[in-house]
Amino acid sequence: MIVPLAHVLILAGIIFALGLACVIAWRTNVIMMLIGIEIMLNAAMLVAVGGSRLWGATDGQVFALMIMAMTSAEVSLALALVVYLHRRKKTVNADEFDSMKG
Amino acid sequence: MRLYLSFILLLPLLGGIVNTVAGRLLPRRLAEWLACTAVAASFGFALAAFLSYRTPVTVELFRWLTAFDFQAPVALYYDPLAAVMCLMVTFVSTLIHVYSVAYMAEEEDYARFFALLNLFVFAMLTLVLAENLPLLYLGWEGVGFCSYALIGFWYRDEKNATAGRKAFIVTRIGDFAFGIAVIWLFRMCGTISITQINGMGTAVPAGAITLLGLLFLVGAMGKSAQVPLMVWLPDAMAGPTPVSALIHAATMVTAGVYLLARMFPLIGSSATALAAIAVTGGVTAFYAATCALAQRDLKRALAYSTISQIGYMVLGVGCGAVTAATFHLLVHAFFKALLFLGAGCVIAAMHHEQDIFRMGGLARRLPLTFWPFLAGSACLAGFPFTGGFFSKDSILAAAWLKGGALYGSLYLLGMVTALLTAIYTFRLVYLVFAGPPLTVPPPLMGTPTPTLPHQGGGSIEAPRLMEAMLIPLALLGLCGGVLNLPAYLGEGWLAGFLAPVPGDGNMEASSGLEMVLQGIAGVVALIGLAIAHVRYSGERRARLIEAAVGPPSAMVAFFQNGWYVDALYRFLFVRPYEALARFFWTRVDEGVVDDSLDRFAALLGATGQGLGRWTNGRVSVYILSLAAGAALLLAYLAWVVL
Amino acid sequence: MPAEMLLTVLIFLPLAGCLLLVPVWNRPHLSRPLALGVAFLELALAGWLYAAAPPAAPGGTPLPGFFLWADHPWIGRFGIRYTLGLDGLSLAMVLLTAFITAVAMVVSWRAITERVTLHYFLILFMETGIMGVFLSLDLFLFYLFWEVMLIPMFLLIGIWGHGRRIYSAVKFFLYTLAGSLLMLLAIIGLYLIHGAASGVDTFALPALVHTPIAPATALWLFAAFLLAFAIKVPVFPLHTWLPDAHTDAPTAGSVILAALLLKTGAYGLIRIGIPVFPEAARTLTPLLYALGVIGIVYGSWVAFAQTDMKRLVAYSSVGHMGFVVLGIAAWTPVSVSGSVIQMVNHGITTGALFALVGILDERAHTREIAAFGGLWGQVPLYAFFFFLFSLASLGLPGLNNFVGEFLVLTGVFRASPTAACLAFTGIVVTLVYMLRLMQEVLFVTERSPMPLADLTPREGAVLAVLALVAITLGVYPAPLLDLVREPVALLTAATGGTP
Repeated sequence: MIVPLAHVLILAGIIFALGLACVIAWRTNVIMMLIGIEIMLNAAMLVAVGGSRLWGATDGQVFALMIMAMTSAEVSLALALVVYLHRRKKTVNADEFDSMKG
Repeated sequence: MRLYLSFILLLPLLGGIVNTVAGRLLPRRLAEWLACTAVAASFGFALAAFLSYRTPVTVELFRWLTAFDFQAPVALYYDPLAAVMCLMVTFVSTLIHVYSVAYMAEEEDYARFFALLNLFVFAMLTLVLAENLPLLYLGWEGVGFCSYALIGFWYRDEKNATAGRKAFIVTRIGDFAFGIAVIWLFRMCGTISITQINGMGTAVPAGAITLLGLLFLVGAMGKSAQVPLMVWLPDAMAGPTPVSALIHAATMVTAGVYLLARMFPLIGSSATALAAIAVTGGVTAFYAATCALAQRDLKRALAYSTISQIGYMVLGVGCGAVTAATFHLLVHAFFKALLFLGAGCVIAAMHHEQDIFRMGGLARRLPLTFWPFLAGSACLAGFPFTGGFFSKDSILAAAWLKGGALYGSLYLLGMVTALLTAIYTFRLVYLVFAGPPLTVPPPLMGTPTPTLPHQGGGSIEAPRLMEAMLIPLALLGLCGGVLNLPAYLGEGWLAGFLAPVPGDGNMEASSGLEMVLQGIAGVVALIGLAIAHVRYSGERRARLIEAAVGPPSAMVAFFQNGWYVDALYRFLFVRPYEALARFFWTRVDEGVVDDSLDRFAALLGATGQGLGRWTNGRVSVYILSLAAGAALLLAYLAWVVL
Repeated sequence: MPAEMLLTVLIFLPLAGCLLLVPVWNRPHLSRPLALGVAFLELALAGWLYAAAPPAAPGGTPLPGFFLWADHPWIGRFGIRYTLGLDGLSLAMVLLTAFITAVAMVVSWRAITERVTLHYFLILFMETGIMGVFLSLDLFLFYLFWEVMLIPMFLLIGIWGHGRRIYSAVKFFLYTLAGSLLMLLAIIGLYLIHGAASGVDTFALPALVHTPIAPATALWLFAAFLLAFAIKVPVFPLHTWLPDAHTDAPTAGSVILAALLLKTGAYGLIRIGIPVFPEAARTLTPLLYALGVIGIVYGSWVAFAQTDMKRLVAYSSVGHMGFVVLGIAAWTPVSVSGSVIQMVNHGITTGALFALVGILDERAHTREIAAFGGLWGQVPLYAFFFFLFSLASLGLPGLNNFVGEFLVLTGVFRASPTAACLAFTGIVVTLVYMLRLMQEVLFVTERSPMPLADLTPREGAVLAVLALVAITLGVYPAPLLDLVREPVALLTAATGGTP
């Protein structure tokens, strides 16, 4: 093993934190929030692959592929929703869309 | 005996039930006849039971309150005391029932009246015949209830209804003490049978006996209108006059005396309790006599005189002279019923005028009422050789014989009271029956002048049936003395008959002393008559009536209002009670208990609302919250691990 | 039919009646008699059980004193069983329940005009719950039925109530629920302690009675049970839901609430609270005395100030139930018998008074005392019954309430003379407010807002039956006293009550 798991985890943590920071920092922009979420998902994928390498099991890699497929589906759906929402309110500010509050 | 006793009770009860349920549907005559017959037949059975009496018997009819060792069956006890009480109650009741037929002739609600009257007789007989204290309590409360319902019989007038309510509440304050005595006796003796308790006199600690005696005394105070629970009886005169005669003169109000006499074997051994009883009786007798002196209402005057006479009886019990007290109870029942019925005749004849200052000259107009009334007055005033003379004197003699400073002063108080009694009695006689008939009604202070019958051409006469009922009572009252003649005139029958009643501290006075005491009493009564004659006859009478138009002097008003005890109680108890009730409701119940609850609920609601505001639908807030929560969790984990 | 089925039938017959109502949901003229028929059938069954119940067969049932017994496993994993038992105490309550339910249906015959079938559905449903409470001997089952009776009453008040009905219904619901959830916790706690001590997981009351519990724990568990029961009874200061619920409930709701639901609290104390935690109960006895006396005097005193008749009767319930609490607190055979008798009698008297107020409300659309007067002259038959039940309520000897109150006081005096003497003042305080009510409503001048009609034959008949029962129980209470004698003796002896 060339790269120790700890390094993988640290990298994944940094990427996750960046993603989270992105979501929090641009929390008024739906598109930026989606990008942040994608970054966080990438971090999770990295951990799955790293784990799979460590234990020599393929589950993690299969799961990473699953996440890729799911993310692409999710992003296409989410962007469609954003387009729709933008048409309704002429904005991508998430705080404008609060009609489902309790 | 079982049969007799059952029927004595059952007949009035049946009469009462039938009149309650179906009285309105029955023809009037039938309802009246039913009520009178039931009581008369009950008298017949009482007589039969009396004649076949040999030894005290206990008859158990059926189980009533039975829980474990607490056994209070419906059981009757027939002994001499019960026998004479039964005879007196049924006899007087019969006469008064018949009297009521005439007195209530124009009353539409006759069924209710006779039903209650019959039920009253039933309850009174239960009280008299009860073998155990809870059953006695049943009769005791039962007569209280009937008294309440009959005082307020004319319920449309608020005054009557209030008087009935007052009577019930004040007597129940006494019942409260009586009830505690009953359950205490059960705890100590393990039984509530009167005969068994009375047989246990020595097994009960002395202190307890004193306290029990005081509790029974308070019970008697309520029912027999003794100081300080006497305020209800004058107001109770709001009821129909036959009711006043039966319940508030002859029978129910003497129940307290009966109770004390019944329990005498137990409580008689406590000198303190007896002294308290004697003082209560003496003070009451004096208090009520002073009040009776100033009354303007015929029935109220008689009511105060009833309180006073019962005071004598209680004094008698306090002196240990149970026989004398019972004797006075019986004779008083006859002559006081007589006086009330006579007053009823007068009131009926005067078309419901009760103010004695607006009467006069009735001796000639109502001779058949006048003579029995005079006989009754003579008894009440204690004229020599009337029944009241012998009975009252035997009580005073007992007080004299008891000796000591306390009983000596009670004897003097009793004598002063006897003088007052003679004065107020003949004040009534002079004002009501003597003098010329009033022609010009003096306008009363503050009250609208009703048209007087004399002017309206209305006739002044009382129904014959009513007057006929006075005669047997007058005879019994006058000759009642033969029941228990003093030793120098022969044998005291009642004393002999009551002798088996255990515990009667019968003190024998020498004939000489007894004659001296009776002589004093007779002279006192005659002095009273003389004073009344001077003050209330002829010219003086006319001047008094003129003076009565104005407001009474302070002293007269003081006596007229019963020493203002009513006002005092209103100020001390009634007002605070009402105010506290409102306070408890609005300030405590709604203000504190419920309000704290509502506030708690409101607080919970507000908290929920506040927390709900977090869920405002803004994604940014959610994300921030999520991040903050995650940070908190991480910090916690870090703190745990490091 | 095997004898043990009888109890199941007794509980679920009203529920079956509910199902019968479904096909005739929109035809009130059919559903009304049908529901009443079911209630009468239930009453007949209860009456037959009383008439036919053999004196407790020794060895015939697992517990002494019980006539009938049914026991089946239900949720085996948690040791929950379907255990029912009928002894004299339960039978007295079952008879009262069946009787009062039928009465409640008759008095609300015309008062309910909307959603009629639902009204009767709920009453029958509630009857099942109440019967279940009085017959369950498995604490889980008991809890289940305890909650079952709550919901129909909530709906009865909320749907057909007057005034602030939603407020009152919610208050009643939350108050009772708060108590019963604590009780559930205590039941589970008891279950775990018993399981740990004996290795047998069971909710069966006969087994739980013998659970050894540390005194401090027992005190907490007992307090939880006590709170649940005290809210139902209700005991001062947990009583304020009662005046609101009563005042705003429809007539049938008031009658059942006063006559039956309040009894479940007292029944719970007698059946479960004190037998399971005798030591803790003994520790808290002074508190119970104090609360009982306060309930009697304070409740009656507050009743005096009321201006609404229903509220007055509701506060009178607080006073009368104070006697029940006092009797249970003293835990002597005589006082507990008195409490049980008082429970039955309060059910009959107060039930009748609520029915009477409801009848008046139906005619005049007001319950203000000040709005009435002189009813004796106006509606004599009505006034007669009002008078009679008021007298019973103020404890006139010869009528039913006196029996229970006197026995309670006698029994309590043995254990605590002070408490008994203080409680005895209750007879005066009760008299004062009852006489005020009678005087202002029945006597004096007629000032009713409109001409009132006297009782209909239906109302007259049901009140006459109630009156007959009240008089019979006052004059000859021996059968009822005999019925409860053995269970009370067993219960008090088992926990070493003061003799």
